[in-house]
Amino acid sequence: MLWLAWRQFRAQAALALGATVVVVVVLAATRGHIVDTYGDGGGNDLTGFFVWLRLLGTALIAVPALIGAFWGAPLLTREFEDRTYRMAWTQSVTRSRWLATKIAVAGVVSVAVVAVFALVFTWWSGPIDATGNRIGTANFAQRGIVPIGYAVFGLTLGMLVGTILRRTIPAMAASLAGFLIVRMFVQKVVRSHLIGTESVSVPSFGPSGLGGWVLSSGTVDAAGQTLSKSTAEGTLTAACHITRATEDVDAALAVCAQRFGIHDIAQVHTDNQFWALQTAELGLFVALAAITAVVCFWWLNHRTS
Amino acid sequence: MTAAIEAVAVGKRYGRTWALRESTLTVPAGRVVGLVGSNGAGKSTFLNLAVGLLQPTAGRITVLGGQPGRNADQLAKVGFLAQDVPLYRDLSVGDHLRLGARLNPRWDAAAAQARIARVGLDDSHRAGGLSGGQRAQLALAVAIGKCPELLILDEPVASLDPLARREFLGDLMELAADGLSIVLSSHLLADVERVCDHLIVLAEGRVRLAGDVDDLLAEHRVLMGARRDPARLPADQTVVQQNHTDRQSTLLVHTTQPVLDPSWTVSEVGLEDLVLAYMATPSATAYAAAPTLRSVS
Repeated sequence: MLWLAWRQFRAQAALALGATVVVVVVLAATRGHIVDTYGDGGGNDLTGFFVWLRLLGTALIAVPALIGAFWGAPLLTREFEDRTYRMAWTQSVTRSRWLATKIAVAGVVSVAVVAVFALVFTWWSGPIDATGNRIGTANFAQRGIVPIGYAVFGLTLGMLVGTILRRTIPAMAASLAGFLIVRMFVQKVVRSHLIGTESVSVPSFGPSGLGGWVLSSGTVDAAGQTLSKSTAEGTLTAACHITRATEDVDAALAVCAQRFGIHDIAQVHTDNQFWALQTAELGLFVALAAITAVVCFWWLNHRTS
Repeated sequence: MTAAIEAVAVGKRYGRTWALRESTLTVPAGRVVGLVGSNGAGKSTFLNLAVGLLQPTAGRITVLGGQPGRNADQLAKVGFLAQDVPLYRDLSVGDHLRLGARLNPRWDAAAAQARIARVGLDDSHRAGGLSGGQRAQLALAVAIGKCPELLILDEPVASLDPLARREFLGDLMELAADGLSIVLSSHLLADVERVCDHLIVLAEGRVRLAGDVDDLLAEHRVLMGARRDPARLPADQTVVQQNHTDRQSTLLVHTTQPVLDPSWTVSEVGLEDLVLAYMATPSATAYAAAPTLRSVS
């Protein structure tokens, strides 16, 4: 069965592996320029060709969705549309083994391609990320190991939708839409809850200097009682005789706040939590992929008859 | 001898329509069995149930003693040529043989290769570019290479020209001579008559008639004579079809006894007329009581 699954998939696999090699070579050849541009602590920006290279990150976000629509969905719908499933399922191989082998072949290629692309791109972006924010922005999905989880889930979702709809074009559309909905829901709603935040104490009214992903922040007094921003401001204005005539109100407020022990407590996913959050989101998508695959097996054995 | 296919009250429903209902029959092993019926009679449904591509909605079907498609062993025992001969367009003839070799534990490469060579197919030809006859031969080679105990063919000759059809059926007869059980469906009665020694007639999703061809012919007679009421025939004679003019009655009857009444002109019935009579018999009339024969083997 492995032979057949590979024979049917090898053209796509070769194309994808070829494209990956090109991307890797280009990124490896240009990383020196990134180090030069950002190595001195930032301030510089990429220009011309390199701006385009940075957009490879957007491509990296798109790849798992495309894997679902162009690999996952047609993997089964083509067999249904050409009616070749009747030949495949009447050889001496059960449907479950047939499906498992197809998932394995497409899965290994997808994981290999996306993992290489993502990790090389993460390495390439290292100097940029050192001066920026890689956890609290959309960049999170273009870095590290989460793209692997997206790819595996995209693939199994495409296969499930293909098993249910049995027609290529509707399955591609549905798989693309379903993937984007799940991906965005996780990014907007679920991701911030995946792991615990760190509480960080920062001065009120001043520049916080906080990196990472700030989820919430509130002002407390020296005793730890929560204050509203306006109460704090009123109290401090009175205590330190700050008026409209004061030259730099914010600076005066900051100094005053420090004197009375008033500060902000922020809930933050710090940059140190980057890999922990990456691992948690990867786990979530691998679990989603496993559930999708189980449903796919069930559907093929019980509803496709 | 174990039956090739044993169906007990099998039914298959798609949505609200029953494609096959309450079908009970035994298909004997070691024969060439013809499954005939008009389009939509349930032939494909029955064969797909037998190879496990479909699951019955009601009843139970056993093939060579096992549940169809249940496991790899069961799958290995049954060769199947699906309707319209599905092949992988992008795969070559050689690839299809390799597919057979990789997916079947009992693969007979020599037999498959010999079959391909005999019909003049080249290993490097893409399946997408083959003619109808070549496609059928390639699919048959894959099914044969599998070394099945039972070969099931769904309308195998429908897309073939008369010459290719004759060759293909000849090949089937050779395989049957080697002891392979064969079940094939067709709506071409002449073909069935040529190769099959056992017959099953389906109409409107029900089994109308089943039995060895020789027995079926021996048990049916055409009676011609002066017009009379068929209800007054002896108890052992069941009317399958009747035609009346003002003065004359022509009856097709099923009977295991000799027809003794001297007022009838008794003649034998041809297989085609017999099958057509059963196919045409509307199930909703009084003839619904006509016997559905069970083969005894």
